[in-house]
Amino acid sequence: MANEIVSTLKSEFAEAILSCASEDGRILLQVAGQGFHQLLSRLKDMGFDHCSDVTLVDYINDGEFEVIYHLWSHGRKIRAVVKVRIPRESPTIASIVDLWKGAQIHEREGHELFGVVFDGNPDLSPLFLEDWEELPPFRKDFDIREYVKREYYGEDKGYFGQE
Amino acid sequence: MKKLTPRAIKSRAEARTYSLWVINYFTACGFMELLPWVGSGYDMERFGILAVATPRHADVLVVSGYVTKKAVKRIKMIYDQMPSPKYVLALGSCPMTGGMYWDSYSTVKRIDEYIPVDNWILGCPPKPENIGHGIVMAMHAIKGGFEGH
Repeated sequence: MANEIVSTLKSEFAEAILSCASEDGRILLQVAGQGFHQLLSRLKDMGFDHCSDVTLVDYINDGEFEVIYHLWSHGRKIRAVVKVRIPRESPTIASIVDLWKGAQIHEREGHELFGVVFDGNPDLSPLFLEDWEELPPFRKDFDIREYVKREYYGEDKGYFGQE
Repeated sequence: MKKLTPRAIKSRAEARTYSLWVINYFTACGFMELLPWVGSGYDMERFGILAVATPRHADVLVVSGYVTKKAVKRIKMIYDQMPSPKYVLALGSCPMTGGMYWDSYSTVKRIDEYIPVDNWILGCPPKPENIGHGIVMAMHAIKGGFEGH
């Protein structure tokens, strides 16, 4: 059944789908930034009624973030993973809160930890971090070791970590 | 304040020793090792220790495990609300040095930079027996006249 869904999507979104793979119960789609929202909307109509997660990966060497949508169909028992790459400079992507309300909290977390703006999300206020003024901490160019040394092992603290 | 007689001081210390009430606020995995003391296995109530819901009734704050930058503000708030005399126990290596989170951007490394700590209990996490040892040590100190903060 997963193969049928993929062939349907391929005929409908020929330009948007960059690559795809499927096997029993699983679908993987790499999608271009322009057509992804229509494709996700189509997937929702096909029965993917649950958005389990929205995650991000920082591909710093490619200068891109990858936004990964994990979808699940309760009726068909198929998991779909949709990957979208967006540029790392001023990263903005359309929100999918209009399709799955549950994606709101995942997008809020992604915004906090990677600095990606989900356009259309009603609430992107900080979730875990308070008074955070550095780069978003999950970005690859955020130097955790340097930050920890400066913040916690400073010269006035008087224990190891000093050189 | 009226000066207490040595005997009154002694009986007050004894009363404190056997009614240590712990604020029911725990941060991390150290609490999992404290739980056997709540149940009938180790049974903390035979020492007069209770878990209470509000810091205004509490004598003891147990910092059980790693403390994030966000949690340390709440701990400070709880500590400030507790009436004197108050005692602080730190469980495990995380509140001492950061433990396995020594290079984490979001956890504080030494809790005694923020609140005074009376007794450190070793372990990662400490066993219930270690915790019992730490509690009994604290009780001995309180019985011997340690006034806390």
